[in-house]
Amino acid sequence: MRTKSKSDPGADRLKVIEKGATQGLRRAGLLTVLSVLTVLPQSLFIGDSLATLVTGDTPLLSPLHATLAYFALGVLRHGLDAWGGRFAFRAAQDAVAAERSSLAVAQSRISPYSEAAIASGEGAALIGEKLDILLTYLTRYHTAAFKTRVLPLVILAATATISWAAALILLLSGPLIPLFMALIGYAARDASARHLKETGSLNALLLERLNALVDIKVLDGRNTMVSQFFTRADTLKERTMAVLRVAFLSSTVLELFAALGVAMVAVYVGFSLLGTFSFGTYGRGLTLAHGIVLLILAPEFFAPLRELAAAWHDRAAALAVAGELAEIDSRDAMAILGEGGKVAVLGGPISITTRNLTFAAGRSGCIVYPDLNIRAGEAVAITGPSGIGKSTLLALIAGLAQPDRGLISVCGINLDDANADAWRMRLSWVSQVPHFANASVLSNIIGPGGLRDECRLKAAIEAASLGPVIAALPRGLLTRLGETGAGLSGGEARRVMLASAFYARADVVLADEPTADLDPPNAQAVTESLLALARQGKTLIIATHDRQLADRMGRKIRLGGAA
Amino acid sequence: MRRLARIFFRVWRPHAGKLALGSLFSVLVVFAGAALLGLSGWFITATGIAGLAGAGIAFDVFSPSAAIRFLALGRAGARYGERLLTHDATLAGLAELRGQLLAAMTRAPLRKLASLNGSERLNHLTLDVDALDGLALRLVIPILSAVLVLAGFLLVLWWIESGTVAAWQGASLVLGFLLSAALMLKTVQRPSRLAHKALQAMRLRFIDLMRSRPELVVAGKLAGQTSAVMDAQHRLQKEQARIDLAERVSGLLMGMASTFAAAGSLYLGIKLGEAKAIDPALAAMGFFGALGAGEITAPVHRGLSELGRILDAARRVDAQMITDHEEPRRSIIADAPIADEPVLRMDEVRYTQASRTILQDFHLSVSAGETVALTGPSGVGKSTALLLAIGQLQTDTGNVRIHGCDIRALDESTLFSLATLLPQRSALMSGSILDALRLARPDLAAEEAWQALEAVRLDNVIAAKGGLEFMLGEGGAGLSGGERRRLALARVLVRQPRLLLLDEPTEGLDEKTARAVLAGIRRYLPEAAILMASHRRPETEFADRVVSLV
Repeated sequence: MRTKSKSDPGADRLKVIEKGATQGLRRAGLLTVLSVLTVLPQSLFIGDSLATLVTGDTPLLSPLHATLAYFALGVLRHGLDAWGGRFAFRAAQDAVAAERSSLAVAQSRISPYSEAAIASGEGAALIGEKLDILLTYLTRYHTAAFKTRVLPLVILAATATISWAAALILLLSGPLIPLFMALIGYAARDASARHLKETGSLNALLLERLNALVDIKVLDGRNTMVSQFFTRADTLKERTMAVLRVAFLSSTVLELFAALGVAMVAVYVGFSLLGTFSFGTYGRGLTLAHGIVLLILAPEFFAPLRELAAAWHDRAAALAVAGELAEIDSRDAMAILGEGGKVAVLGGPISITTRNLTFAAGRSGCIVYPDLNIRAGEAVAITGPSGIGKSTLLALIAGLAQPDRGLISVCGINLDDANADAWRMRLSWVSQVPHFANASVLSNIIGPGGLRDECRLKAAIEAASLGPVIAALPRGLLTRLGETGAGLSGGEARRVMLASAFYARADVVLADEPTADLDPPNAQAVTESLLALARQGKTLIIATHDRQLADRMGRKIRLGGAA
Repeated sequence: MRRLARIFFRVWRPHAGKLALGSLFSVLVVFAGAALLGLSGWFITATGIAGLAGAGIAFDVFSPSAAIRFLALGRAGARYGERLLTHDATLAGLAELRGQLLAAMTRAPLRKLASLNGSERLNHLTLDVDALDGLALRLVIPILSAVLVLAGFLLVLWWIESGTVAAWQGASLVLGFLLSAALMLKTVQRPSRLAHKALQAMRLRFIDLMRSRPELVVAGKLAGQTSAVMDAQHRLQKEQARIDLAERVSGLLMGMASTFAAAGSLYLGIKLGEAKAIDPALAAMGFFGALGAGEITAPVHRGLSELGRILDAARRVDAQMITDHEEPRRSIIADAPIADEPVLRMDEVRYTQASRTILQDFHLSVSAGETVALTGPSGVGKSTALLLAIGQLQTDTGNVRIHGCDIRALDESTLFSLATLLPQRSALMSGSILDALRLARPDLAAEEAWQALEAVRLDNVIAAKGGLEFMLGEGGAGLSGGERRRLALARVLVRQPRLLLLDEPTEGLDEKTARAVLAGIRRYLPEAAILMASHRRPETEFADRVVSLV
């Protein structure tokens, strides 16, 4: 249960987001307030016109002019409102864009070996549709909240200049609304938050089943699945309706008081005009014109409150998103060294040495590495049982993770934030789990926006023995590799990555378990490709379990155990 | 638009009663609002006249003021009823929409479903279904009730005040609505579609950014990919701003239309009043009524502003619901297996995919009680052979027979009752263990469930966790990877097929468990023909025969 908003990290985070848009939102708020204020002169014209129709006096403006004035003010009102809304929308978009940018930059710089980074699917939802929820919150709820702070007071003051009794009616029914809404509201706010979660879980229910469609189909379980789905959806619905029933009470109270407030003003005015009541007008007596003004102003008193209540869901949803952002901010994440940008290449002959290197790997304790000395042109296999930190060592060398203690020096200088990018210009990386960019094979080999050098490309494809694989693809080099790799087998996928390493012509190739999960022929092909790289004089550092691969490297470094 | 109507009718027809009642209440809400203001205007002006004439005592104040109070209370009550009923109908509709989508999608061919498994496209699909949530609540009900309210209100106005005023109001409000609806229909469809594309691109690029961080960092392209994400976001916001502009202009049009209606009523009312054609109090009523009727515009406008998104989503969801229909195949032979034929027989099968020949001149037969393992390097066509055997891929030439009858002649439910497949990546759903098994056989008894669990050596694990009522979390959370694999196996076993096709059945199990599980499967189904796609030793050693695909 959310009791106090003061200690709520989501609410605090939401304030930070709002701060980014303050200027635009305030301007938008002022414009919309101004737009509502046009009702004051409008009500005067109408009151005068209708009253003089009854009394037979000469009106301030002729019927035509009064109508035109009313219409012009009405157009002004809607125009200002739209203009203000546009301002708010633009400001909200800027705030959302800033959030997206900082989220993408911050998340991308978190080390791939830290668990603090957001899961990619979850992150995609957050950076996509979830941050868009803030747009509606900032434009709709925020504007309504601004209006609620200003307009009821203005309308109340205008009413009070005519009749304190009418103002009193508004004053009494107005604050009763928040009071009653607060009474029901504690239940209602909770209910609306829960309601959001419930629809969320209906979606989870759907997604889960969509992912299991293959099984459902072969098990001939369609009818069972659909009926199970409906049963669960029904219980969800019952629970949701139970809380909604309470939640709707609050909006009913709002409607009731708003309607009663207007009705009581109308009845008071009617009785005053009949002469039954003779109080509340500072002893002047109420004229028909004033009565009509009061009637026009009364609904405007309640309008911002109703608007605010209608946008209540927006706030609950925005708070949930801000809470998620706050939670992500609070994670203690290890960053990569450098910024991962393109810079001038680090000069000097290749050498990699480490001294007293240790790395704290989560709960499993601390990895202590033996000191390494790797020279240019060496082919080194790093072996050892799984979980001993082979992949982490490669990551440390590439500056993708930071050691707790100890030094890594490359090409004779200490690896740090300032030179990591330059050092990586000389590296090539072959991951254990290939993830292809959503682009063609060609672009995955030469890199996005890279220049196509026919000669290098041909050599790279040949060295990775990728020719027959590409020939078999439906569109050859231009076949798109999506999330699933367009039907490439594990070995083929890894060879595409090796081809990209060949194409890059980097001096050092770091490969993590390049032959894992491959059947013998594929493993053989990958091993030969790697050895071809070594023959070209590249420095090769490979973390592997595969004894056959390790045996063919020039040197083996065993982690863990007695070595 | 036609798609929208089709989806609307399909989803909400069973809940039409509730929707209609909800719309009726929403009519009452708006009508009471307009009547409240109109009546108040009339009341004040009429009392003003009476007061001036000194006829205050004679004026009947009680029935109008009671009517005002009644309208105020009635409006609040109607609002409550409206919200309850429409939300109830919407929630039911949501479940209906998702359920129908699920049922429709199970008709798609297996290969297509397998490629969708876990993909971004499914996430988009759920987003689209979300967008359709508002169809009834924010588009159809408000527009329907606006039309009804306007019609009713104008009739009353015609009857009490004057036809001219009613016609004026009707014409301007309808014109405003038509103009703004036309504007939205014309201008927001394209930006909505582009915004959706940009959102999709942003999501995919962000996923690329996060998953290929090592490669991107080493290649010095981290900043480049981050700005690619932001490029997509920029495109998204540009389209969103377009949609927003159209929305504001259409809102402006509707607002101006209601101002136009009120202004006209004022002028006509005054002129008619001056000409003594109507009572001044009625002139006031007409004007205030127009102000109240203007309240219809807000919900209608909110619905219209979602029109682009809803239309765009309807296009995609509708496509999922209808394109995947297969011609229902008719069974020529009902059952009666031909005794001397092997359970599965594949002759001269040739299969090519995207001009890549996967199987050629492929022969295979598996008899009852026999276990055959297909081996070969990954990508050689083991899974393809299994899919061909269960009719989810069509051979180019050659044929596949089960018990001597061509599987092309079998309808799906007959085929699946004879043969079943454990896919390479099988998925579990949240729910109890018994629910998971009953997916395969709805009438499964507890005892039979335990037998199947015992066959895959899962009985002790499940008993320790609390038995068949143990609730699995999303995607089978609560069990380890190997345990999930074995539960999926048990689920296949309870179908008691004559032909069991297993795609790497013991993946993720240690060798000892793998052997025990394979032996358990055979004990559970002594007569079944089993065909496995394998690359692990326990599987090939267990098989009676190994067929190597090279």
